[in-house]
Amino acid sequence: MRFVLKKILTLAVTVLAISFIVFLAFSVIPGDPALMLLGGESDPAKVEALRQKMGLNDPVIVQYERWLAAFLRGDMGTSYKYSMPVTRLLADKVPITLALSAEAFLLMVVLSIPLGIYSAKHEGSAADRFLVVCNQVVMAIPPFFSGILITYLFGMLLHLFTPGGYVSFREDLGAFFAYLFFPALAIAIPKIAMAVKLLRSSVLTESKKDYVRTAYSRGNSTNSVLYGHVLKNALLPAVTFFGMAIADMIAGSIIIEQVFGIPGLGKTLLTSIGNRDYPVIEAIIVLIAVIVVASNVLVDILYQVLDPRIEID
Amino acid sequence: MGKTLLDVSDLNIEFHDHQAPERVVRDFDLLMEEGEIVGLVGESGSGKSMSAMAIAGLLNRHEIEKTGKILFDGTDLLHCSREKLRSYQGSDISIVFQEPMTSLDPVQKIGRQVEESLKIHHPDLSEQERQNRMLKSLSDAGLPDPAGVAREYPFELSGGMRQRVMIAAAMIDDPRLLIADEPTTALDVLIQEQIIELLRRINRERGTAVLFISHDLSLVNRLCSRVLVMHHGKVIETGRSSEVFQNPNRDYTKKLIASIPRVNLQRPRDNDRDVHPEVSPAPTGKNALSVKDLSVFYTSRGKGFFGRTQKTEVVHHVSLDVGEGEILALVGASGSGKSTLARAVAGLNPLHTGTIELPDGRPQMVFQDPYNSLNPAYTIRWLLEEPLRLAGVNDEKERKKRVDEMMELVHLDKTLGDRYPSQLSGGQRQRVCIGSALMQKPKLLIADEPVSALDVTIQVEILSLLKRLQRELGLAVLFISHDLRTVWQLCDRVAIMKDGLIVDQGDVDEIYLHSQSEYTKQLLQAACIVRREEQ
Amino acid sequence: MFRFSFHAKDGKKNSYLTAGTVITILVLALILLGIVHAPYDTEAMNTSEKFAGFSLLHILGTDNFGRDVFSRVIVGAFTTLKIAAGTVAIGLLGGLVIGAAAGYFGGAADAVLMRINDTLFAFPSVLLALVIVSLFGSGTYNVIWALGIAFIPSFARMVRSEFLRYRESDFIAGARLQGAGSMRIMAVHIFPNTLPVLLSSVLIGFNNAVLAEAGLSYLGIGVQPPEPSLGRMLSEAQSYLMTAPLYAFGPGVMIILMVLGFSLLGEGVSKRVNG
Repeated sequence: MRFVLKKILTLAVTVLAISFIVFLAFSVIPGDPALMLLGGESDPAKVEALRQKMGLNDPVIVQYERWLAAFLRGDMGTSYKYSMPVTRLLADKVPITLALSAEAFLLMVVLSIPLGIYSAKHEGSAADRFLVVCNQVVMAIPPFFSGILITYLFGMLLHLFTPGGYVSFREDLGAFFAYLFFPALAIAIPKIAMAVKLLRSSVLTESKKDYVRTAYSRGNSTNSVLYGHVLKNALLPAVTFFGMAIADMIAGSIIIEQVFGIPGLGKTLLTSIGNRDYPVIEAIIVLIAVIVVASNVLVDILYQVLDPRIEID
Repeated sequence: MGKTLLDVSDLNIEFHDHQAPERVVRDFDLLMEEGEIVGLVGESGSGKSMSAMAIAGLLNRHEIEKTGKILFDGTDLLHCSREKLRSYQGSDISIVFQEPMTSLDPVQKIGRQVEESLKIHHPDLSEQERQNRMLKSLSDAGLPDPAGVAREYPFELSGGMRQRVMIAAAMIDDPRLLIADEPTTALDVLIQEQIIELLRRINRERGTAVLFISHDLSLVNRLCSRVLVMHHGKVIETGRSSEVFQNPNRDYTKKLIASIPRVNLQRPRDNDRDVHPEVSPAPTGKNALSVKDLSVFYTSRGKGFFGRTQKTEVVHHVSLDVGEGEILALVGASGSGKSTLARAVAGLNPLHTGTIELPDGRPQMVFQDPYNSLNPAYTIRWLLEEPLRLAGVNDEKERKKRVDEMMELVHLDKTLGDRYPSQLSGGQRQRVCIGSALMQKPKLLIADEPVSALDVTIQVEILSLLKRLQRELGLAVLFISHDLRTVWQLCDRVAIMKDGLIVDQGDVDEIYLHSQSEYTKQLLQAACIVRREEQ
Repeated sequence: MFRFSFHAKDGKKNSYLTAGTVITILVLALILLGIVHAPYDTEAMNTSEKFAGFSLLHILGTDNFGRDVFSRVIVGAFTTLKIAAGTVAIGLLGGLVIGAAAGYFGGAADAVLMRINDTLFAFPSVLLALVIVSLFGSGTYNVIWALGIAFIPSFARMVRSEFLRYRESDFIAGARLQGAGSMRIMAVHIFPNTLPVLLSSVLIGFNNAVLAEAGLSYLGIGVQPPEPSLGRMLSEAQSYLMTAPLYAFGPGVMIILMVLGFSLLGEGVSKRVNG
């Protein structure tokens, strides 16, 4: 329990640090927000008045405090481009990206564990060697290219889905998840290959350890050694990998949303970068940071449940 | 004559992992009766462990080719089905390994691991029954709180306790043959004795035959009725332990026996030593090292963002002196603080209180593990030159000359100069380490268990090198060891450490013959050094 | 010490290294051809030859402006390689300095440095690069800086763990006893031992940098037109997927070959070192 509390405290501190760095970067580098709100050729007096009103003349730390307090209340500022609250702009986008990443994550876990174990168990067989080569090649395919290939193959040739035919989750939840399947697959594919490779090698490494010899010496069959002893040990590095993959999948979804025309956080982020809509960019980055750090904390806790040795802390 | 339990004949084991096949065991024969204790002795690479693994049915990889016969109670384990073999493993034949730290599954509770053999071989047993036998087995193995231990994970136990757990797991289904593969090598001397006593008791009370594998001939002599000596994959000598020990036939066996340091308290110590006092440097009366009231600390940082650093005192208020030209032994079990003390003296741990006086300047150090104490990125010659470069000897010719001299002094062949450490044997590496430590001509050398990672016959060579150098160069040596027999032969004075304190200190003769310290007496007993009044 | 050979430590053939070398040499040869003499001018448009299929004249066909895809692919690959090299150089240098200092000196500085580093490390590098590009604008040099900075944490982490490992080893203690100072220990005694691991991370870094650069230019953030870029070619190809699916083939395969070559080399090296 102390461990969990400590982890949550770490999470809070980390998120705070990131939000401060992001705030600092966005308040120092891009230029005068008042000027941007009013447009290029505004009356300097008007700009100064707006600066006063927005509190831009206060010290950065005061501005940060104000920004943080507002953020915690759910007020993420106002979009320069659309002149509407960022919170309202993003409310519909967050669930889409989360659903896409979650679906990709599930695909990765469900497919990689059995494949990894199979590959290790039949080390050196034709199927294993095929998988090894396959993994290596698949890891080299950028997700957006596999997205394009999937669009062409499953969308245009086999007509298993309509490219660009995104269905909102408000309209039809089933169709929403169905449409996300192929984008999720495109995100998951390279991660699956990496996870299979990692699991294969971690099962093989564990199989060479002394305790495996002990297990055999008690009369265990190969299967009971594998499932009774090796697997739990071999899964530990995989759990760490899965945890780190969450962050990559959220990043991956930014690109994949572009490929499949999904109006999620990623698409909004890119449009906002194009429009230099800094409040929106800032909010999205802090949101993603929260998701990434929180998922890492979850993984740490899960790891601690699986590995008794961590408890000493 | 008892009933034959195990009959191994013409066993050959060949590895096909590499391009050239490698035969690790040749024409191995072994006959064991029910209830017998047989010792299998040899140095690393002699094939003793491989033979044991083959008997335990643990060499099943395709790359290993085995021929011959392993008859256990009439069944050929080498040529029977996997199912048949498995029905013996853990039930009739059990094995205990050298490394209790890694031989247990790290993420499974002790209880489940101990009862596993029962689960496999007696699936009909009730949960309760299995639990009871598991607890009984743990308490039979000498674990004081079986129920508590059963709920723990391996990392929560000490090495000695883990080895008891291994034995409890091996003995749970009353095997007829227990294979013990160097079961005490990784343990402290006092714990070693306890484990040996446990094996003896198991054999006596339950009639289990024991195949005991070890590199330590004197240990085998004490425990086993018969012994096989292996060398380069072959059994070169076999017979009753006492006979082999007293009248060895083969040169290699003689060499093995000679490598056990002689200790006979009934006669002057010089009879057991190759070096006599008249050639030792005369004591100058000055100290090369003088330590007063030294306490040493270690810090460990807690994990997490707010991890506090914790300071633990490992050595408590210790005082000792090493005279010029003298060898002082610092003896203790692992965790006694002897290495910590040595590192503090060398200046590698600044976290200490008290005073360390080194009138003759900085000491140099030789470490235990020769595989970790030479920089793998450089050649031997470079490594020997580096101390000179650091000392400001900028003339290349001068450096080369002095390296040549040193290589000759420590008996290293000149051709090894261009090699990398990974291309050298353990003994050769330790010679390089000693040479490198002496390049800057220190007056005090700290040797931290310099031979314990080496094979016994190599140990003798390195120790005699150290002895010779000490004499020729008039070195003072702080010799850290756990082996009282070596200390008897090599050292002038001894300090005994326990839990960070020096519990006994004095001249070697005085301590060995007359010390009244309980702990010293226990250590002497564990090393089989017997005083007159105790005989 | 690391000595080059196509065989793993145990004498078995190291097929990773062999395959990686073959593919990388092929890629480099194509890039060299692009530098020396590309078959066509990458900007030469020919509206009569839009979306020509694969032929002897245009081995990878032509694009929506009738430009030769093969020429654009090999020239674009050179741009990608330059960006990857810059990225890895920045990441490596930054990582070396931070990682070596943190690993060797330890203590509070290490704790703070690594906490920041881990936070950044948890953050996907493409996202970090997006943030930086959004602040400083796009273009080749900004992309190099953005990706390079984003790559520092992973290099720093690796260098730190190596320095930490060696810092505690007996041979470093020995060198310290003989009077070697911190700089000499780091540069002469520890650094050469980290080279094999460093080499394999540099190769894996190339692999990741190529992927990241391609992703950014696919999003239209990396290299700006008219300079040919593999990522942007794929993004164009996607718009014409229905009419000219073959256009995607050339740039896609080129990226895969580059990544595959570097990743195989990287793994081959690490297999060579760790056995």
